[in-house]
Amino acid sequence: MEQWIAMLLLISAIWLLQIRKISDSVPILAFQSFVLALMAGAMWYETKLSHLFVAALLTLIVKAIIIPAILHYTIKKIDVHRRVERVTSKYTSLLIAIILSVAGFYVTSRLHLPSTKFGAPYLPVSITLMFLGTFIMIDHKKALMQGIGLITIENGLFLVAQSISYGMPMMVELGVFFDMLVTVVIIGILSFRIHSTFESLNIEKMSNLKG
Amino acid sequence: MGEVSLLLIIPVMTAVLCWQIKNHPIGEKLQVAGALLNVFIGLSIARNAFFVAPVTGWHHLIYIDALSAFNVMLIVLIGFIASLYSVGYMRHEVAERIISEEKVRHYYLWFHLFIGTMLVVSVVNNIGLLWVGIELTTLVSALLVAFYRKGTSLEAAWKYLIMGSVGIAFALLGIIFLYLSGVDLFGESAESLNWTVLHRAAGQLNPQWTLIAFIFVLVGFGTKAGLAPMHFWLPDAHSQAPSPISAVLSGVLLNTALYGIFRIYTIVNTTLDGKAASYLIFFGLLSIAITVPFMLVQHDLKRMLAYSSVEHIGIITLGVGIGGALGLYGAVLHMFHHSMAKSLLFFAAGNITQKYHSKRMERISGVLKTMPMTGSIFLIAAFAITGTPPFNIFISEFTIMRAGFQSGHLVATVLFLLFVVLIFSGMMYYVVRMAFGEAPAKVEKKEMSRWSTVALFLPLIAVIVFGLYVPPFFQEIIQQVAFVLQGGKS
Repeated sequence: MEQWIAMLLLISAIWLLQIRKISDSVPILAFQSFVLALMAGAMWYETKLSHLFVAALLTLIVKAIIIPAILHYTIKKIDVHRRVERVTSKYTSLLIAIILSVAGFYVTSRLHLPSTKFGAPYLPVSITLMFLGTFIMIDHKKALMQGIGLITIENGLFLVAQSISYGMPMMVELGVFFDMLVTVVIIGILSFRIHSTFESLNIEKMSNLKG
Repeated sequence: MGEVSLLLIIPVMTAVLCWQIKNHPIGEKLQVAGALLNVFIGLSIARNAFFVAPVTGWHHLIYIDALSAFNVMLIVLIGFIASLYSVGYMRHEVAERIISEEKVRHYYLWFHLFIGTMLVVSVVNNIGLLWVGIELTTLVSALLVAFYRKGTSLEAAWKYLIMGSVGIAFALLGIIFLYLSGVDLFGESAESLNWTVLHRAAGQLNPQWTLIAFIFVLVGFGTKAGLAPMHFWLPDAHSQAPSPISAVLSGVLLNTALYGIFRIYTIVNTTLDGKAASYLIFFGLLSIAITVPFMLVQHDLKRMLAYSSVEHIGIITLGVGIGGALGLYGAVLHMFHHSMAKSLLFFAAGNITQKYHSKRMERISGVLKTMPMTGSIFLIAAFAITGTPPFNIFISEFTIMRAGFQSGHLVATVLFLLFVVLIFSGMMYYVVRMAFGEAPAKVEKKEMSRWSTVALFLPLIAVIVFGLYVPPFFQEIIQQVAFVLQGGKS
């Protein structure tokens, strides 16, 4: 069960590197967050720790519904059919993603991170999600996709906290969710302004500030 | 305790009121009044924390000791001066038809929320909430950096938002590790991220985890503080933001990020028995060194000032890294002096760029002739920031240098001196060219506005007076903060 959920998370992150249109990223992200909520729900079922239930519910509402809705709204306002642009080709990025995944699993096995009974299977995937999120930010040239990479990194962080100690204290968790929500709103506002000023979301157009 | 609630509520109230009140003259005065009110509350809390006892409350969620109080003091002071300065600055922008009055209301909304988020960072006891606060400062100030909606300001804001958020994500990983290093001791409760609790148990934490935690936090919050080599967002954001915002970014936001680092440093350094200090010395020196070439080839006035901030954040970090009673005293003193001198410079630079309609230094000359008051203050502030006696920064840099030689960090201190001299010559070359000489014929010889000049005098007093004489009560305050940094008291 845990292995399957972990694999689904990994696939969703690699998938984000293979999309053709920016708008494709939203359902994948929603799927990734949904799996994350499922994972927290499964942990709650096993351990009966009430704050895991809250975390699962919040992940579902904030990350799997509200955040994708905001992103969807932004993309619709800009242009639905915009193609993504990558630094590397589709196949090179797949290769790099696989290498990063292997590296993530290897690093975790060497770190001797302590983990909880039901969280242990997720630990390698959580580190790999952070690696892949960073790579999404580097590889994609569209401003909005950097935001998607950032959310993937945050999802990875959430998973690290869950698998090491069943999450951070509730209060902190709530704060992080709130920050995440505000971040996505601001990413939306700025992408919209960038698009209306530069007539493009390509960050290579934004290179006037130097030195 | 009611005072702390007020301290946090007033900026939010001011922000919302300024946003909602359509009458522009009332709104702009109201926001100055709100900021002034917060100065009194902030200083009253700070006085309690310095001279009576740490302020606590809300089930240990709030804890203000000398270090927090010091940061609160800087935020309310610089926040007030910047809100005063904003009045003249924004009036000019509206008169020039660069922005509309409606946009000015949005400016005041975000400005005061920005001040509020920094105050939250300084008063919370929980390291997780401190992280949440620092992330919020990034989000709010990114909108302020993007305020002019030009291509360059959007570019700067995007870079700032993305670099800031990724950096801070790493800091969160560090905090998770720190939580982990103490979770065996305290169990899984919110209390185990309270730095008062962590501090008390610092000796028993798992050293391996605290070291990894510290490195992640240093890199993460270091990105926000503008430590090299994570400083790339800083010159862009500082040069593209409206000048009063640049002053707040440089004067207090960087300090607030450093506050996050130092909070965790005091815990980790106890656990690791002083081994964490070398990381601070390394990043501090690197930040000072990296400023030198950029300072020598700069064309943009505000970018030059921004690089100078990277240098001074480096000096503060170096001072804390050198440590000892003297080094920490110098570093804390430097924090205060840098905030005052740098915000003064940004305000003066704001007047200059509005007068000359350009930030390019080759287009600016004869400032002393066009604006005698702003010009002379600009010159004084520039001498102060480069560490020339008899101004305030000379005192703190000299203290850090003495601490460096005394504690045997010979190489680091000699390098520090060398870089400071190089930066002095690079910066003064441009400043002197701007201040003296003939003004372009089309520039009118007149000060900007009374509001813009009055705001310059408050930090100017600090720059001049503290260079000549440090009052005993102020020495006492600095010693208290240095004592907290030393890990003497939590």
